[in-house]
Amino acid sequence: MTLDWGVVWQNRDALIKGTATTILLTFATMAIALPCGAVVAVLRLYAWKPIRGLATAYVEFFRNLPLILVVYWAFYVLPILTGLGVSPLLTGLAALALNVTAYNAETFRAGINSIRRGQVEAAMALGMSRVQALRRVVIPQALRRILPVLASTWVSLFKDTSLVSVIAVTELAYVSMQVRAQTFRVLEMLTAMAIIYWLLGYPQAKLVDWIQRRYAVTE
Amino acid sequence: MEFDFAVITDHARFLASGVGVSLLLATGFIVALLRLYGPPWLKPAVVLYIDSMRAIPVLVVLVWTFFALPIVTGLTMPPFFAALLGLTIHLAAYAAEIVRAGIESVRPGQTRAALALGLSRSQILRRIVLPQAIVRMLPAFGSLLSITIKDTAIASVIAVPELMRQSETVAGQSFQPIEVYTFAMLVYFAMLFPVTRGIDLFYRRVAHLGRS
Repeated sequence: MTLDWGVVWQNRDALIKGTATTILLTFATMAIALPCGAVVAVLRLYAWKPIRGLATAYVEFFRNLPLILVVYWAFYVLPILTGLGVSPLLTGLAALALNVTAYNAETFRAGINSIRRGQVEAAMALGMSRVQALRRVVIPQALRRILPVLASTWVSLFKDTSLVSVIAVTELAYVSMQVRAQTFRVLEMLTAMAIIYWLLGYPQAKLVDWIQRRYAVTE
Repeated sequence: MEFDFAVITDHARFLASGVGVSLLLATGFIVALLRLYGPPWLKPAVVLYIDSMRAIPVLVVLVWTFFALPIVTGLTMPPFFAALLGLTIHLAAYAAEIVRAGIESVRPGQTRAALALGLSRSQILRRIVLPQAIVRMLPAFGSLLSITIKDTAIASVIAVPELMRQSETVAGQSFQPIEVYTFAMLVYFAMLFPVTRGIDLFYRRVAHLGRS
């Protein structure tokens, strides 16, 4: 077995670009999924009943589907729905956002529900409106409980961006497998890919641990 | 539209997924016990393994076990075993974390009390800690099971003929990708929704056993 690790260095430009796309996808997805998740959570908690049902159905549906299937589905259905050719990157972004929004909505809902009802009642007894009670009493406490969960969703998202490689989004996994196919340096490229993911993901996983210790709920 | 239902109904495959899940749980338990009670020199390695698996995407692990591992070991594996191995290596780390959290959630005072009463370490684990811890692990294992089922879809990338891969094949043959993938979505949902709901309900019935 002869190994030639030079191939990794020769293709460094492509790998760096792929890594940048991976990071970009993670940030962009979260930027979309945070506000959308909040909206869906609020709809699910306080909206008119049929809308509440719809929001619940959306969350349950996407939480119970493999992401890779959503990616394929978006790849074939988005162009038909919108009538225009959507780039793989946008398609992947849409699929990731649909998935993460559902998870975030559930996180927000659980966070708000975790604050005991008595607190809202007490706030209303003191003359606050429902919205005020939510804004001043519930949300500040809920945020502390939501943050650790969001942090682990973030790491999952970072890892799940690798799945959009199946529709040829040129992120890290796709680029590495492309180079592998061109150069036949299978072991070197796949190991390099794993190491790059590890270098990026390991500190994130450790940071999540720290956030979870820092914000642990003690009642 | 023809669709290969054999993928879902095939007994062998059900058996295989059963084997997969048990393998996963067993490995997870062993890893967690090593982390908690193993020899001190082994602990850093176990922690590194767990944290690395939390940092690397499952796709990367699968692709590596299928394409790169045979080069290292000189053995070629059929895609199915590569997938089983890759998924087990990846998800066992998660299982181990769940087991550890469950065991650590049992208050240390109970262990001390049991030690004072003359029970051995393994007796304490078997008779006092695990019976409570296992109940507390249930919800987390429920979501892990759902994650496992979802991750099997990723095995389509290394051509394991599971539902996802079969859908790709049918989509390619029939030129009706939208129908096929929408149908596959419904099938996955129909598989996963009862699992997650069922575990929720079951946990609510047994939750009182985990209190102390």
